[in-house]
Amino acid sequence: MIKKTQVFSEKSTTSIWQEEADKNNPYSAHKCRLHGYDIYELIKFGKFTDTLFLLFTGELPTPEQSNLLESLMVFLINPGPRHNATRAAMSAGVSKSNHAHILPVGLMAMGGEHLGSAEVENSINFFNSHLKLSPEEVSKSLLSTYKPVGTGDNHIVPGFGSRFNSIDNLAVKTVKYLSQLEGAGRSLKWGSLFANEISSCGMSWLSTGVAAAVFNDLGIGAREGAGLFQLMSAPGLLAHGLEQTHKPITAMPMLPDEDYVIEK
Amino acid sequence: MSLKNSMTDVSYWDNRRGKIVSSAGGWLGGLDAYSHGHSIMNELLGHVSYMQMIILNATGKLVDENLSKWFEGNFIGMSYPDSRIWCNQIGALCGSARTSVTAATVAGTLAADSRAYGGSKTSLQGIQFIQNALKEYQEGMVVEKIVSNCKKNKNNKPVITGYARPVEKKDERLEPHEKMTYKLGFSIGEHLSLAYEIGQYLEKKYGLGINIGGYTSAFLSDQGFTGDEVYQIKSMVVASGVTACFIDAKNKKPDSFLPLRCDDIDYSGHPPRDLP
Repeated sequence: MIKKTQVFSEKSTTSIWQEEADKNNPYSAHKCRLHGYDIYELIKFGKFTDTLFLLFTGELPTPEQSNLLESLMVFLINPGPRHNATRAAMSAGVSKSNHAHILPVGLMAMGGEHLGSAEVENSINFFNSHLKLSPEEVSKSLLSTYKPVGTGDNHIVPGFGSRFNSIDNLAVKTVKYLSQLEGAGRSLKWGSLFANEISSCGMSWLSTGVAAAVFNDLGIGAREGAGLFQLMSAPGLLAHGLEQTHKPITAMPMLPDEDYVIEK
Repeated sequence: MSLKNSMTDVSYWDNRRGKIVSSAGGWLGGLDAYSHGHSIMNELLGHVSYMQMIILNATGKLVDENLSKWFEGNFIGMSYPDSRIWCNQIGALCGSARTSVTAATVAGTLAADSRAYGGSKTSLQGIQFIQNALKEYQEGMVVEKIVSNCKKNKNNKPVITGYARPVEKKDERLEPHEKMTYKLGFSIGEHLSLAYEIGQYLEKKYGLGINIGGYTSAFLSDQGFTGDEVYQIKSMVVASGVTACFIDAKNKKPDSFLPLRCDDIDYSGHPPRDLP
């Protein structure tokens, strides 16, 4: 039996959202505030990215921070139909899953350590534990003991590596742009120097590293950054998944027996 | 060959395009299907239990009937239909929100993929502890030292998965598991024996006893399982209880599961302020 003890709280607590009850109904909120700001005022303010930043950091962003975050959101909005998470959403869509399941299916597949939110979390932790060190020294030390996998992609550290044996050009090009923004901070700059050092081994920024650097520069924590990475990728997962719901179940490949090899 | 020189080589992926090579098994349409080399239609269906099949799919091991019965009992003891428990509460909230039963069951099960409770992910830590502990013990380390090497909490008590239950100390699942182990003809192996010794020491010194996680980790280590294998087998262990709590809430009015008044949530944040 669970007895009333001091172990568990009597109430949940939040520093994010405050509701004032209607005087005639304790379940109905007549005023809601997000980190102190009246939600109706924020609705009139009409800036989703700024409100998102407020939600996770407790303060509204500066114009520079807002611009950096918005650019990252555009970069992450669609992982594309070849990403594992998008393919998971598309498989759900084409196979006539409950429509409400398509996004969660994609998001679950977006939670992994390979190009997913777990890699973003690990990458933010990597930045935080190495930013005080020289990127040249860190890369030199890592490369001196690094043993790449024989086949497949290499991630020398979370957020940096190869993509199909090449450098991820979109990630690198995006970082070049983001680094020039006024909101860019130490992580983007440090990461660019680090990426430059490892490029001779065919590795550079990955999308997860780009996201991690931006989140870190914006003062967004590792757990929050990981979740936001999923959130910001969600539109693409959903769009591709829903697109398939309008097509017949035969619209995506099902391999014939001769292309399915069962190892004994 | 240096890595740089192989950068344009995409043969690894080309060899896998439009082709699946599986060691898990597969379906031969109209003929049969296989799991880890076993014919599902001729060897498994009608011959083995569903639990044996779960274990086979999760590990590639076709265990004997007694071990699968042990797992089945363990699954029964790890899936209480009590909607206070975190994963089940998610099931109930889904019921209150009228989601599908599958969404509810999967959401609750996903939540129980936790380092704090649930019996799946916690098996990784529990098995890692007892297998390392046995190695150290066999090398001459005493139980006191094994325990003192473990991480401590703020009250200076050792934090070891399997030796303190989150809700309360007494674990009602332990005795039925011990009886089941005996009834199915299993003896106490080296891991379980050491787990009892550690439990007794912790109880005497810190008031912490072995719980079902510690017991299960030790028993399954004695049966030759790794932490990953147990995690894989038990990935859905809470599912049934979540489903039950979903149904319970679904059969009541929407929003009637633990309704909250505005002041049931304490606010500790920034005081009201105007936009700049």
